[in-house]
This record gives sequence, C-alpha cells and structure tokens, in this order.
Amino acid sequence: MSENGVTLALDRVSKRFDEFVAVDELSLEVRAGRIFGLIGPNGAGKTTTIRMIVNILVPDSGRIELFGEQMSGRLQDRIGYLPEERGLYKKMRVGDQLRYFGELKGLSSREAETRLDRWLERLKLSEWKNHKTDELSKGMQQKIQFIATVMHEPDLLILDEVFSGLDPVNAELMKDVLLELKAERRTIIFSTHMMSQAEELCDDICLINRSHKVLEGSLREVKSSFGRRAVALRAEGGDGALKDARLVAGVKSYGDYVEVELAEGADAQELLHRLVEGGARITRFEQVEPSLHDIFLQKVGEGA
Amino acid sequence: MRKLLVIIRREYLGRLRTKGFVISSLLGPIIMIGFTVVPGLLISMRTGGATKIAVVDLTGKMYEGVRESILTPRKDEDGERKNPPTQMEAAPDREAQMSQVSKALGAHYEVEQVTAGGRSVDEIKNELNARVRKGELGVYIVLPEKILEEGRAEYYGRNVSDPITTSQLRHSLNRAVIEQRLREANIDQNRVRELSKEIVLETTKVSEGGLERDSGGGFGLAMFVGLFIYMAILMYGQLILSSVVEEKTTRVSEVLFSSVKPFHLMLGKLAGVALVAITQYLIWAVAFGAFALYGVSMLASRGMDVPLPRLPLSFAVYALLFFVVGFLMYATIYLIVAAMVTTEKEAGQMALPVIFLSVISIYLAFPVIRNPNSSFAFWISIAPFFSPITMLVRIVTETPPFWQIALSLGIGLASVVFFVWVASRIYRVGMLMYGKSASLPEVVRWLRQS
Repeated sequence: MSENGVTLALDRVSKRFDEFVAVDELSLEVRAGRIFGLIGPNGAGKTTTIRMIVNILVPDSGRIELFGEQMSGRLQDRIGYLPEERGLYKKMRVGDQLRYFGELKGLSSREAETRLDRWLERLKLSEWKNHKTDELSKGMQQKIQFIATVMHEPDLLILDEVFSGLDPVNAELMKDVLLELKAERRTIIFSTHMMSQAEELCDDICLINRSHKVLEGSLREVKSSFGRRAVALRAEGGDGALKDARLVAGVKSYGDYVEVELAEGADAQELLHRLVEGGARITRFEQVEPSLHDIFLQKVGEGA
Repeated sequence: MRKLLVIIRREYLGRLRTKGFVISSLLGPIIMIGFTVVPGLLISMRTGGATKIAVVDLTGKMYEGVRESILTPRKDEDGERKNPPTQMEAAPDREAQMSQVSKALGAHYEVEQVTAGGRSVDEIKNELNARVRKGELGVYIVLPEKILEEGRAEYYGRNVSDPITTSQLRHSLNRAVIEQRLREANIDQNRVRELSKEIVLETTKVSEGGLERDSGGGFGLAMFVGLFIYMAILMYGQLILSSVVEEKTTRVSEVLFSSVKPFHLMLGKLAGVALVAITQYLIWAVAFGAFALYGVSMLASRGMDVPLPRLPLSFAVYALLFFVVGFLMYATIYLIVAAMVTTEKEAGQMALPVIFLSVISIYLAFPVIRNPNSSFAFWISIAPFFSPITMLVRIVTETPPFWQIALSLGIGLASVVFFVWVASRIYRVGMLMYGKSASLPEVVRWLRQS
C-alpha cells in the first residue's frame, strides 16, 4: 500500500485499436482499502481499461501507477484479476488448477496448497478438490475462479462482474468475503453494469461511456451532487400543492404512491408544509435520492 | 524464470499423465514390431511339419546331388560374406535373402526318391498327383532326361505361389545341375567357386580426424533423423496447437496474461511439449534397442547376417542435437499458427508449411552430399528449417569445421527464440484486441506496432 493512500492512479491514459479509440485520456484514482466501482455500458472501454491496469495491454499514451510505482510485469503478482469471461482448464483437477494459478502468482507449491485448502473449505468446495473442473456447476466454477483470484492475497483485486452466475446464497457469501477483504485494507476495483450491486458495495464510482470518463467521486458525493431531487409521497387530498409550478416540476404515479419532482429552488419542507396546510392525510413522505440506475441512465442517455 | 518452469512442469507432467501418452508409448513399439517382424514371420511360418518332396529322377544320376542340395545349406552363400552388406553395395538377391530367412527360421524338407519301376512317366505322375491331393506329399519334382542340356525341370504341388519353397527349390536344383555339368566336364567346382568370388568395395572416409571406415550408413542416418523430426512434428505439433487453442477457447489466456509474459507462456509450452516428445522417443528407443538386441542375437544365432551401420559417437551426439533443434524449429510454426487461429478447425492446413519445408530440405540434401564444402552447402546448412538435415549430411560426408556446426546450431536456437517471440506477439495482440483469427497482413501490422 502506498503512503498517500492511493493504490492506483491513471493519468491521461489512452488506448486505440487501429482507428477505434477504446480509452481516451482517462484519469482516475483508486484509494487504498476502498471498493471502487468502474461502471459503464457495454463497449464503454471498461475491459480495455482493466487490461491496461493488469498489464495485459500497454497504453499508447499516459501513465499508470500502481502502489506508487510505474506499472510493470513485476507488479502483476500483487494484483488479483477475475476477468468477465471466466477461464479454467476443463480437464484439470480443481486442486491442481488452483495450485498452478497460485504458483504463477509467485506462491511456492506448498504455500499454494495450504491456501487453496483453506479457501475451498471457506467456500464449501473441499469435497470437489480432486474432481475435474468440467464436473462442477457453473456457480462452483465461478467460486473456483474467485479463489484463483484471491489466493495469493493481492493488494489490489479487480473483479469483473463477480456476481454473475451466482445464486442468492452464494452471492451473499461472496459479498461477505469481499467486505472481509476490504476490512483487511485491500483495494477492490469492481466492474459491473448491474447498478444495484454497485450501489450496495461501492465506496467510490467512476462512470465511463464511449471511452470517456463521465462521472467520478464517492457514491455519496455523486448522488448528492446529482441534483434530481424528488419526494415519494402517499397522501389523500392536498392536491393543490402539487399543482403549484413554483414547487413541483412534475408528478409520476407509481401505483400506491407518487413521485414528486421538486421545481428548481424549491424546498421539500415547503412542500410538506403546504400539503399539511391543504389538509392532506400523509402516510408517506420521503426524500428520494437518485439511484445509481437513474444516474447511469441519465448520463449515458445524454451521451447518446 | 520460476514461472517459466511452472509452465513447463504443467505442460510436461500434465501430458505424461494422460491416457493418450501411456497408450502411444506402449503401442509405438508394438506397432514397430508388428511392421517389421510379423510379415516376415507369417510368410516363413510353416504350418505343419516338414514339406515332403518327391523327386522323380528320369536321368537316373541326379537324385543324390539334388537331395544333398535341398537338405544342406548353400555353401556358396556362407563363408564368403565376411563383410556386412551395406546400402552402398548392390542389393543382395531377394530370393537368396528369402531362403536365408526361411532357413534361419527353421524351414525344412523331407526328400524321397520315386523310382520308375517300369511305369510310364504319366502313371507315376498320376500316382503322385493323388498323393498330393491327399496331402501325403507337398511337392514333387520331375527331372527330365535332358535336364543338363535344356535346363528345365517340372514342379508340381498344390500350392505353386509359395515364393519361399519354389525359390529355394529352384536354387537347389540349379546348384545340383551346375555341379553335375561341371563334374561331367571334368572341371573342379571348388576352383570355379574360388575364381568367381565377388569383390567387396571398402569405403573409407578421409576426414580431419584421420581415416574412418564408413559404410555409407551415415547418409541414411542423416535422412533418418530428418524423418524422425518430421514424424515427431506431425505427432506433437498437434499437441502444441491444441494446448494453445484450448486456452483461447476456455479464456484461460486472459488470466494467464495477468500473471505471466506471453513469451514465457509460449516458450513454456514449446519446451514442455518438446520434453514430452523426447521422453516418448526415449521410451521407444529403449524398447526398440531391447527388441533390436534380442532380434539381432536371435537371427544371428540362426546364422543370419544382420547389417549394422557403424558410426562414430560424435555423429550420434550431433544427430541428437540437430533433432532437438529441428523439432523446436518446426514446432514454432505450429505455435505461430496456433496464435493466429481461434479454433483448431481453422488450423487444418497448417501441416502444409511443415511438410513443404521438410521435403525441400530433403531435396537440398542431394546437392549438398555431392559438394559438401561448396558455399551453397555452407549457407543452406546454417539456414533455419534446412540446417538440421543439411548440416547432418555435411557432417557425415565431409565434416565441416566445428565453428560452422556451432554456428548452425546457434542460428537454429536463435530462430526458435525469435519465432516464439513472434508467436507470443501475435497471440497477445490478436486475441485481446479482436478475439478473432488473424489474417497475414494483420499479423505483420501487429508485429510492427507495440
């Protein structure tokens, strides 16, 4: 972990393939011990960015610093990378396979063996150790792949769509493990297009679209700076207040409640006050934060 | 470096444990024995006991000589062939070889005389035909009165297409007739044999190290090494191909590339598969060696000469070195093609450049053997892909200075490293960028860009 708390820094990094610009002048910082969400639609440049971070691709221009050092093959051993497209040797036994991946990350054969035993136990897969990988279910293979990513105790974990293919029980198990790793001050980059997952886990996010960064910051900042202020309201009567254009920009009906979008400069307290004055019976009045989903849709939609 | 060893170990041990390896290791020697020994055994196998031969001697003076000739080994073959026959000598008479084989493997005959006893020739024949039909008699031979002048005899048997029996009998009759003719002309047979002895051409190689006896087997062995490289490539090139393509289709390559350099990955695969090939060849060599020792001693104990090429030890060492370098060199072709394609099917035509290059090197060996120290021979024997065979040919014909051999090996290894680098480049750039098979112009472009 570097001293200033920044694990990874990208400085105006670009990558083009022939005429196609995959990543354009991307700068971002990932702080130590936090979960960083790299989000964006398909084809935005997420995977290319990640491949540059793990040193599979070399940027055409710009600089990547990891743990305060210029990125190089030597640093690869301190990264754990779970690609979106999973890859395991089908005909290899689970144990042999994990030992091999561990050794490729610099573990000794014996060290790899003890760690993979521990992890198989932890993820309830011990009995499968001597089975060939293609005898395992998709979800189990997913967990094996995860072990291969974390068994060498990397300081930086890069997880691309880590929950895909997992049932709710296993997804929960995986979430626990991730939070544990975070508690150990490991940095996690979490790439997904499932906004609800990002919202649940990430401390910071970076939204990229069409090879550009669109949005960056802590989840909290992003949400509050994102000035779409709305109120979820369930009330009987007091309709007059909702028709005041100085207060309300629009009303959307969602079955048993309505979502009221506040007008520019209007205050939610003012609306509440007016509703009560108007004699409304209020059973729900809640200031709604924009969901990451909404932000995503709006930002990506803007670009389109 | 440690990671390279990890990769080599997985490729090597992983393949050694497969059923395919075990089966082909066992099957190889069995097939080898099958192709070399079984046909010979089958042909000369005598089902049943000795072949009974009846001789109808109408001359009244030939029977003893013929009987002797059939039952005793051919004197003119034994004792004169002190030098082992080699490829450079005229190919020995096939029939003589065959009779030798059958003799060594225990073919034998029983001979009986049929006297006329006042019957006509036709009566005798009818009687003998009946006995042949009943199986009491294998064959009968009629020696006409004028056999010495006309040189014709008659052979009757149920089976007239058995090449061993007919040829052996022809030889025996031939000898008996010639001996009888010589005897009647009052010529000493031993004298004739002595005077008509053939010459043996002894070839001696003049090299820097002095004079060496060379039976000419060296050139054959250079070709043999070429053939071995070719066979090894056809067998193991496919392994290299599938090993690379498997990682592409299963997408393991992305995980691997986040841990190791593509160059190490490719080099590790090449080295791992090469070690598997060498292991398999060693197993076969031991099996073959044991079989050859057993076989040669068995045949020798039955009075058969087995030609064994005599070669200096240094040549064996060079042959091994050039085999390894040659194998690696041709294997890199598979590595490069594997890097370009996404499925094994697309690689269908890939054996073509391998076949093409190896056939050319065999043709190039002929100008080289006639002029082993020309500048043409020099350049061709250090050129990648051609050097393994052509340099070996030069070594066995007129051994070039050591530095040239070292240069040839050095260039060979350097080109292996270069081609592995090319393959890893194509692999990394091509697969990660596009995830599709590469065309040649694309490959050239990728090699230039970083």
